[in-house]
Amino acid sequence: MKRIFISLAVAVIFSFFFVSCYYDNEEALYPTLNNACDTTNVTFSGTITPLLSNNCYSCHSNANASFGAGIHLQAYTDVIAYSAKIVAAIKRTGPFPMPPGVQLNACSVSQFDIWVRNGMPNN
Amino acid sequence: MRRLFLAFLFLLCTLAIFAQDDLMNLLDQNSPKQINYTTATFKSTRVMNGHSIERMPAGQLDVRISHRFGQINTGGYNFYGLDQSNIHLSLEYGITNWLMVGIGRGEYEKTFDGFTKFSILRQSTGAKEMPVSVSVLTSAAMKTIKFQNPAVTNYFTSRLSYVAQVLVARKISEALSVQLTPSYVHRNMVATELDPNDLFAMGAGARLKLTKRTSLNAEYYYLVNPRTYMSQKVYNPLSIGFDIETGGHVFQLFFTNSIGMIEKAFIGETTGTWTKGDIRFGFNISRVFTLKKHANPAGNQ
Repeated sequence: MKRIFISLAVAVIFSFFFVSCYYDNEEALYPTLNNACDTTNVTFSGTITPLLSNNCYSCHSNANASFGAGIHLQAYTDVIAYSAKIVAAIKRTGPFPMPPGVQLNACSVSQFDIWVRNGMPNN
Repeated sequence: MRRLFLAFLFLLCTLAIFAQDDLMNLLDQNSPKQINYTTATFKSTRVMNGHSIERMPAGQLDVRISHRFGQINTGGYNFYGLDQSNIHLSLEYGITNWLMVGIGRGEYEKTFDGFTKFSILRQSTGAKEMPVSVSVLTSAAMKTIKFQNPAVTNYFTSRLSYVAQVLVARKISEALSVQLTPSYVHRNMVATELDPNDLFAMGAGARLKLTKRTSLNAEYYYLVNPRTYMSQKVYNPLSIGFDIETGGHVFQLFFTNSIGMIEKAFIGETTGTWTKGDIRFGFNISRVFTLKKHANPAGNQ
């Protein structure tokens, strides 16, 4: 019984190796995405909201704000209130680098930066 | 003449009683030779970030809680990095004395990981002379952080990465143990074509015992792949710190430039460097529970 369990455990772990070994990179797999970091047509509804939704709302939505120190970033007025802090956080220059653990991709960081420098239009 | 000879022999015998070592040698020669396995090459199953040659003995569960704090150079306002923390939790179990398995979850990229580590050779003296201990580690990790571009077709396999390591260690003396760790990391998905999917690294670790319960540890991984053209600037991880053993716990307290606590993360994704002060305080706490009494708890086979 024990022997069966051991060999099963080993088989499961090793199966990972043979099931799915890929040599992908994002540049080749998604050519349109990487070549086109859209920095000219940055809008609140089309760029900033999806960006925040994908990277921040697990802690900073209206519903989950208790996880994110009470800071919620769903409404336009909330986002502009926190914009300076968001820039520092995603550029990892401020006291609280966000998202925790992993850096936001360079395209999203520059898009947010551009939106702030454009005067944070609600478009 | 004969009497004189006997008296001389008698004298010799009394001398021999004082020379205890010789007697012990005689005993050793007469009894069948045993294999003396080297134990406690390292205090814990990790040197610091990376695995050590040690495994959990059969039936023992190791509950590990690890933290890496923020960078010290973020300044006094952040209490030198201690305001931020990254956590990794894991459960690791010895199935037999030569095979252990573990599962874990880390905050870094919201990663689940699993590994197996098994012994191939054990350092020993006596009937069998073996200069080094050798273990093999295989692990797989799955990051569960949301895809940054949900609009495109994202594949589950892009989340996976694998690690294989051969751990070769030698306890040189009671105080000093060293380990070499040739490592291979495969990442299914990387950012650009300039980033290699396969990473090769050579790790080196050492432990210097200071007192019965504390030791000074150091660990370094050298990334063989050229790092110049990678899309993200990465550095080799270096960790220096102490092991403190208190009964059933082992505390490992150290300074490191890496945030990751699994091989894939600290070998290939260490973005801080010691020279710029991107140093993090970190600790591992290990608590061992005996789930199943084993006939041979010392791990001698």
